Amino acid sequence: MATKTKGRFVNGLVDMKAGKISREIFVNEEIYAEEQEQVFTRAWLFIGHESQVPKPGDYFVSGMGEESVILCRDREGALHVFLNSCRHRGMKVCRYDEGNTPVFTCPYHGWSYATDGKLVGVPFFKDAYHEKLDKSKWGLVEVAQMEVYKGSIWATWDPAAPPFTEYLGDFKMFFDLSLEAWNGTDEPLEVIGGVQKWLIPCNWKFPAENFSGDSYHNISHRSVDMVGIGPSGTGRRDTQERADSRRLQVSFPDRGHQTGIYVLPGGSPTAASYQQSPEVADYFREAEEKRRAIKGEWGRVTGSPGEIFPNTALHPRQPRSIAVWHPRGAHQTEVWRWYLVDAGAPYAVKDFLRQYYIRYSGPGGLTEQDDMENWNYAHSASRGTIARRHPYSYEQGMGSEQTNFELDGLKIPGTVMDLTEAKSSEQNLRNFYKRWAEFMDAPSWDELADWR
Amino acid sequence: MAVSKSRIDHLLLKYEIEQFLYQEAELLDERQFEEWLDLLAEDIRYWMPMRRNVKFGELDREFTREGQDISWFDEGKDTLVRRVNQILTGVHWAEEPLSRICHSVSNVQILKATPSMSQPTEVTVKCRFLIYRNRVQTETDFLVGKREEVLRSVNGQWKIAQRKIILDQNVLLAKNLTFFF
Amino acid sequence: MAEVVNVRLLKAGDKLQVSHGATVVVVSNPLDGVWIFARYLASPKDPSLEGTEDMIFAQDIIEVLEISGD
Ligand code: FES
Ligand SMILES: [Fe+2]
Repeated sequence: MATKTKGRFVNGLVDMKAGKISREIFVNEEIYAEEQEQVFTRAWLFIGHESQVPKPGDYFVSGMGEESVILCRDREGALHVFLNSCRHRGMKVCRYDEGNTPVFTCPYHGWSYATDGKLVGVPFFKDAYHEKLDKSKWGLVEVAQMEVYKGSIWATWDPAAPPFTEYLGDFKMFFDLSLEAWNGTDEPLEVIGGVQKWLIPCNWKFPAENFSGDSYHNISHRSVDMVGIGPSGTGRRDTQERADSRRLQVSFPDRGHQTGIYVLPGGSPTAASYQQSPEVADYFREAEEKRRAIKGEWGRVTGSPGEIFPNTALHPRQPRSIAVWHPRGAHQTEVWRWYLVDAGAPYAVKDFLRQYYIRYSGPGGLTEQDDMENWNYAHSASRGTIARRHPYSYEQGMGSEQTNFELDGLKIPGTVMDLTEAKSSEQNLRNFYKRWAEFMDAPSWDELADWR
Repeated sequence: MAVSKSRIDHLLLKYEIEQFLYQEAELLDERQFEEWLDLLAEDIRYWMPMRRNVKFGELDREFTREGQDISWFDEGKDTLVRRVNQILTGVHWAEEPLSRICHSVSNVQILKATPSMSQPTEVTVKCRFLIYRNRVQTETDFLVGKREEVLRSVNGQWKIAQRKIILDQNVLLAKNLTFFF
Repeated sequence: MAEVVNVRLLKAGDKLQVSHGATVVVVSNPLDGVWIFARYLASPKDPSLEGTEDMIFAQDIIEVLEISGD
């Protein structure tokens, strides 16, 4: 196990031995400032998807923590992620959301940067600078590392961070459930046009822990389950495939990633889904048959909400989307939600999914609306001096986690909780905060990459 | 000189449409949601695109596209009925306790009336909205924008057949959209 | 000084009088409203620039000499 430097967080404010977490980590503004340094400058953060920037010159303005960044494909076709701030006096060089451009020109004094980040235009370079400014040293600030993983684009400011796939570790096979085509192949996905962006008055860790696997809060979604927005007309999802399955939570203690999964029984086809539309139902039946055939035993595993540490949330199956919880001060979060479909799916399928996605998720979504109410008032009711003295309980299911979990021959990596009987567990949440505490205490990646 | 008949027709129609829009706002603000649903045509298109910051000369990309892209809303009567039913469960926590909401509708313009101003069966209207939402104690949202709508006369009653909602925001400043525009 | 030029409106082929007595022809317009990609036609102060391409800053444009035909 980890031999982390003793600090304020591991077994302090985040006391995983007792299953208690201090409210300070959510509402304290000094801790928030430390977190920007300790977590957001070092972790790998989700930037976007290749389908958003297919051509040279295409750009999409994204975010990393509090910072605005430009995801851009240069003239040679290479992808870059730059800090969206002019090197001269800091002006935001791109105030558009997305587009295509040969240069990013700063509106303040006119410095101009090529799509590979190089400073190419300096007004009065001869007359005022006497050609003495070393333009090669004043290009846009670029991330230390950037990686494309199955179409998803990731970046970190820390040159010492391990490569992204190593950062994922064995969580990779679960992340693949969000990135592979519905038929289990590497056929491309695409982001549906328009990324939803909205503000929630709560600390970013409320949604992050919720997507890590809050298997306990189903009760808060009872109203949507009653009115039924699911793709077969009832509930909020197709429930039969879940009812047939073993319900597990999987977490990776040395990485901080975690997800729920449903493991279908072997030997029988996946239950019918998307029954509201015969065309969509056929598409998914065929895709599911192919996926099960290609993936073999592993094809029994289907996705459920998860979180890649620290602030990327996965919704792999129904609906399929990726969200990022951007910190905006201790008391506010800006959510960005990307919705994904098979690029090659017929219009009827894309149209059906799009409508289902936005009636489920986002600020207009009948499901997500109730989450935001809970995060908002959980946060605001935790800010008082007295409130802060009383930690939250994360004790649910402590000690029932298993490793080397096997389900009739199918090995599940990571730390596993079987929720089929237990109904719920906070193991995934403990896993998220354990890793968060390690980031807060650890001076560098030497301590954080202790699997090396 | 007598005021021309066409101008009177226009004035009368504008008055009638304004009264309809005010009554609609009244139903929403007084939380008579089921009565509000009766004002919606069975085939209503209710669409609220998102808005991007785009470069001068590229304004055709400003709005997400109906039926193609992600929007804040892009739906028909079925989901609007479900939204109302959700509020009426009494356990839709985002609207329980119910928000205090005030819709102001103004700048009503009749853009088109078919077949005529004097005997219209379908009217295209543009207006401004200002929605104030206050909930729990101090939580307050102002949502301001434009609406473009098509009203259709069905058995002598106006019904909303299309409503396009243009919110003047990029990042949505409200945490959720649990109310109707 | 001549009228302030809106460089967004310049097109490939337009000829411009720029600082230091040079003339350039527009090669392409990045539409940022600040710069123009151009080729030097004449540069009496530094003849080595003639025929080379460079970015021309809007404030260095003295006047538009010729609007291209198309
Ligand atoms: S701040 Fe960008 S050029 Fe001065
Ligand atoms: Fe939820």
